[in-house]
Amino acid sequence: MAIATPPTPAAAQRMDRLEVMWQSRPGVLGWLTTTDHKRIGLLYFWTTLVLFGAGGVEALLIRTQLAQPNEHVVSPETYDQLFTMHGITMIFFFIIPMTTGAFGNYLIPLMIGARDMAFPRMNALSFWIFLASALFIYTSLFMGSAPNAGWFDYVPLASKEFNPGRNIDFYALGIIFNSISSTLTAGQFIVTIFKSRAPGMSFNRMPLFCFAFLAASFGLLFALPALSADTIFLFLDRNVHTHFFDPSHGGSVLLWQHLFWIFGHPEVYILIVPAFGIATSIIPAFTQRKVVAFPLVAVAELLVVFVGFGVWAHHMYAVGMSTISMVFFAAGTAMVVIPSTIQVFAWCMSFVTGTARFKTPLLFIAGFIFMFVTGGLTGIMFVAIPFDQQVTDTYFIVAHFHYIIFGAAVFPIFGGMYYWFPKVTGKLYYELPGQISFWILFVGTNLLFFPMHIVGLLGMTRRVSTYPDGLGWTAYNLAETIGGFVTLAGILLLLGNLFYSYLRAPAAGPDPWHGPTLEWTTSSPPPDYDYAVIPRVSSAYPNWDPVDREFDRRNLADGVLVLERGHEQPAVTPVDARFDEIVQMPHESPWPPILALALSLVFLMLVIGRYGVAGIMGIFCLLALAGWHSTEPQEQ
Amino acid sequence: MSLRKLEILQWFGLLGGALVWTAQHVVGYGITEAECGAGGLHWGIQNDVWQGALMASAAAFVVAAELAAITVIVATRRSSYESPPPPGRVRFFAIAAAVANVIFLMIILLDGFAAILNVTCRQG
Amino acid sequence: MTDYVAVPRTAGPRLSNSAGWWGMVILVASEATLFGAFIGTYFYLRFRTTPWPPDGIPKPALVVPLILLACLVATTIPMSFASRAAQAGRLRATRFFITLVLLVEAGYFAYEVHDFADQIQRVDITRNAYSSIYYTLLGADHAHVLIAVLFNLWLLAKLTRGFTTYRLNAVRAITFYVYAVNVLTIVVFGTLLSARA
Repeated sequence: MAIATPPTPAAAQRMDRLEVMWQSRPGVLGWLTTTDHKRIGLLYFWTTLVLFGAGGVEALLIRTQLAQPNEHVVSPETYDQLFTMHGITMIFFFIIPMTTGAFGNYLIPLMIGARDMAFPRMNALSFWIFLASALFIYTSLFMGSAPNAGWFDYVPLASKEFNPGRNIDFYALGIIFNSISSTLTAGQFIVTIFKSRAPGMSFNRMPLFCFAFLAASFGLLFALPALSADTIFLFLDRNVHTHFFDPSHGGSVLLWQHLFWIFGHPEVYILIVPAFGIATSIIPAFTQRKVVAFPLVAVAELLVVFVGFGVWAHHMYAVGMSTISMVFFAAGTAMVVIPSTIQVFAWCMSFVTGTARFKTPLLFIAGFIFMFVTGGLTGIMFVAIPFDQQVTDTYFIVAHFHYIIFGAAVFPIFGGMYYWFPKVTGKLYYELPGQISFWILFVGTNLLFFPMHIVGLLGMTRRVSTYPDGLGWTAYNLAETIGGFVTLAGILLLLGNLFYSYLRAPAAGPDPWHGPTLEWTTSSPPPDYDYAVIPRVSSAYPNWDPVDREFDRRNLADGVLVLERGHEQPAVTPVDARFDEIVQMPHESPWPPILALALSLVFLMLVIGRYGVAGIMGIFCLLALAGWHSTEPQEQ
Repeated sequence: MSLRKLEILQWFGLLGGALVWTAQHVVGYGITEAECGAGGLHWGIQNDVWQGALMASAAAFVVAAELAAITVIVATRRSSYESPPPPGRVRFFAIAAAVANVIFLMIILLDGFAAILNVTCRQG
Repeated sequence: MTDYVAVPRTAGPRLSNSAGWWGMVILVASEATLFGAFIGTYFYLRFRTTPWPPDGIPKPALVVPLILLACLVATTIPMSFASRAAQAGRLRATRFFITLVLLVEAGYFAYEVHDFADQIQRVDITRNAYSSIYYTLLGADHAHVLIAVLFNLWLLAKLTRGFTTYRLNAVRAITFYVYAVNVLTIVVFGTLLSARA
């Protein structure tokens, strides 16, 4: 319901009633007990920004250490913790929670025409567990015992024999802790997308953003258990003296690697697919045309994650597997490129056949496509097993994945920050500093990551804390470090611009871009209840359907589909979104932070070896769950 | 063609190819681990026979799924993927399935031929 | 001006399963994948080890585990009756069948705990890779049966106050979980008993 036209008196009364019904509790207590998906999205946003800063500091320390040969900025032991924590932070505590937790939480209910997620309290729980897991792992850094065996933590380096301190126990437990949050989020998105879409939004009328997040959610759901199994085995080997990874007693060192990469490869698609979703939202808005080949782009998003489950051992070509084992993964790796290529072609065709307005969000998407294609080209090179065996564990690989991760995940995140800034804050950011921040970032990241290809081919291995002079690596490393600081400047300008815009910029109105999806039909920022009327949907671009929006306006005036008798929203059938029933939604609850606290105590006790006490804390968790479920949503 | 039949063909087309590729990929790789490992050497697994049979049956299944998808696309040619459900949704999923099954077929053939043509159990 | 008019609340049966049921399906999918990783590990280690079980470890027992498995799997029947009774609004019948399931599950779990402790005394988990994966896989399965016990206890507590839509959804969701745990136990026992081959 576009609110450019003022509502009738009856409509205004209904909106007031909804406002009262869905109002958040004021103050800090309101934020602590919130179940509003928008507030939870914002909590994720700020928390992940802080963690991005931490990961960035780690990166800049690494780059400073490597700027010159034989540097002593940090000791080798500290360096090990730095690159490990950088990887863990950026993957588990920045990209995943920023895309799924911040963008996903804020936008998915808005895009599907719902008032909240399917399980609002569980949504809050995801956030508090995420925060607790971040504090848990960063405690280890402040104790000087941060994980130090790389973000993929191979045994036997990670075994008790070679790593007797608590570092790896923090890793194993921290990863499991964090994965609980992500699993809950994944389940949340899947059920919400299945059951809470606006009536009429069948799968062929669902925005591509939602397809992307559905794909990422399925990815998380099926990949995380492999990592959990792996880290459980590691914790048992280290603390209970089992022999999963001990060859002298029938175990296998490669078992760690297999299970890790069965998680790890889908994980990298999980990192970029939500960003594809952001890109695929920005492109139609700034080209003012529907995305070319919509069904192909939708299936490509799902396929890239699905096929990505079958390629894991391409991370293991140099471990001595037999050729006939490795070829399965080479085959999958060759074919997994195709869905990504389909998407890139569709996006480029959308640029070419639409009227492109290169505002800041679209600039970031153009940058994303450039960097993703570059990183993708080196990715295809790794299909060839002999080539991969030469460059694995060199900076060539570091270059590849940073082009993909920074290019294909972070650039869309930045673009998305600009694109939805007006919706979330109600202000229109300043365009010129936005564009400048893009160019600084583009130059900075290419200067930072491109020379890594060359220096990797020249033989520089990854994870070295320093290197000798005279190998021809010095100039490239210095260039990379300069690029790192240029990137920092770009990020600071970007964040500064957004902050200053928040304070001073003019009002944006509900729909500054004439965007395609439903969030642009409601106010900026959206009201607590998201939509006064459950919207009628007959395409994947509902804001471009004036007939449906007029229908909504009349419904609001007549009181149809307003659902103001309580905290209500409709439930639909999963495939064709036929209206099924009206559901009462829970609102504010103290149980999510309480349960997260109890769970934190479990993990704290486990990491210091007090298993009995951990068991008792586990019972507190069960009691918290019982308390949580003692009131039913309709009784709140 | 009745809607019910179309739906069955659509779901088979969409999910059949994906599931059978998963099975062929996992079992095919598993066979290579079993036949080349110390524990499995004496089980007498004939690599080429197993991989060939797996590839052939999986490929046939995916081709069937693809035919199902194409049948649905042809049967819904008067709708578009933007039409209201069920026909619009059914066509949408069938188009998706038609593309996906081609990719699955290619991986199955690459998997199978590579596993047969390479020397069994030679370290790479 | 008309007052608030809601979309007519459907008094009839709903068209599709509730969000709560889907949430349980998601949980089961996640746990099933975890067990998939455990079972994959079992076979991965087995492919590289001969003999299996390694020397000094007896082959797993057959008869008693299969009898216990049959008892557990048989709870599928009363659980399905409980679910059907709930959909028909018969509170006492629902509570009766859930209690029956609960008693069998609890008895099964108690015996298995005793048996697990017994086995681990004779062959410790730290013996080798076989014992590591054996006890981890078996222990994880028992833990999931315990979760079924806890779910059913909670359900009985909730049903003392009668039916609501929420509780009906809960019965369906927990029924799904019980079916899943029974299937899981069949797969786990099958895996562990395959060492007898």
